[in-house]
Amino acid sequence: MKPDRHEMFEQVIDKTLAGDVSPDEERSLRLHLEACPRCHEYFSAGTRVISGLGGFSFAVDPGLQARVSTALLVRAQQLESRRLSRKRLVWICIIALVLTVVGSFIDLQFGRVAAAFLGVQPTHLRQELISYWIGPSFWLLLLFPMLPALLTPSKNRKGNAL
Amino acid sequence: MFEYEMAMAREMGTDARQIERGLRQGDVALLQALVEEYQYRLVRYLIYLLGRRDGVDDLVQETWLRVLERGSSYDGQSRFEPWLFTIARNLAFDQLRKRQALSLDTIDCTNQGAQADPPVSSAPSPFTLAARTEDAERLALSLQKLEPIYREALVLRFQEDLSLQEIAAVLGAPVPTVSSRIHRALATLRLQLDGGDHEA
Repeated sequence: MKPDRHEMFEQVIDKTLAGDVSPDEERSLRLHLEACPRCHEYFSAGTRVISGLGGFSFAVDPGLQARVSTALLVRAQQLESRRLSRKRLVWICIIALVLTVVGSFIDLQFGRVAAAFLGVQPTHLRQELISYWIGPSFWLLLLFPMLPALLTPSKNRKGNAL
Repeated sequence: MFEYEMAMAREMGTDARQIERGLRQGDVALLQALVEEYQYRLVRYLIYLLGRRDGVDDLVQETWLRVLERGSSYDGQSRFEPWLFTIARNLAFDQLRKRQALSLDTIDCTNQGAQADPPVSSAPSPFTLAARTEDAERLALSLQKLEPIYREALVLRFQEDLSLQEIAAVLGAPVPTVSSRIHRALATLRLQLDGGDHEA
């Protein structure tokens, strides 16, 4: 048999061992292997390597699973508390937004009526509303989302991001 | 045969979807079960990738923490293993990059061109320690010398039984590249076994 034919079949054997062969190639290889001791030996050497790879048994630290489980529990709790704080933050921002809008709406729509009812100057009432209602809720709306970043120590902010 | 394959595919699909659902919900009990199921395989993959035993346990832990944090990115359309090994691989390469950066920093600081890496250990390789058969003992030395990309292709194909497409997804390389890495790795190891036989 010509040597180039052996080379061709060795390539097919390589592909077969890697699991990258078509059914036709596999069929022709099977027929060829029955008649060619050289290629059969090449094929056997390959399968021997593959079965040799199954002859390793790596030692695993028996405490590893417990350590990983504990780390997972701790991280899950951290993630949950982070999720809850984020949720709380969103709610506080929504409340601050609503307070700001409602305060402004009352000032614009009912400012004069309320001032007359309370017997104070409309400008005075507006100042009071801005100082004690609209202003604080507006600042809460602006500043609260920044609080976690402001309160986090700088070394953590640099992040050991996973 | 066809029915069996279909049943396997259905079972695999169900498993993947269950895992996907559990990961999306951050189900720690499911994760603990997965840790138990995949612990040995993850350790083995990382040893093949890194060629050493130290630091592997830390990487295993980091991998599972990453799985917990990024669980929602697993789509459940494909098998869980390739996704898991991709995470482990990325972490391993991050660690290697950090080590290399640290080594360069050390060289810069000392400015003496001294070796920053720890001296080569005379301890037996993890493959030598793990060899349980005569052929495995012969292969151990070659495996240690083989480049990580080839060892990785071998373990994913022949130990993890991943398809070439799945391996390509883990490695981020085209299928022909994966195939050629497997051929080259097998050729190297085949020579080792043949040589051993001739010596014997």
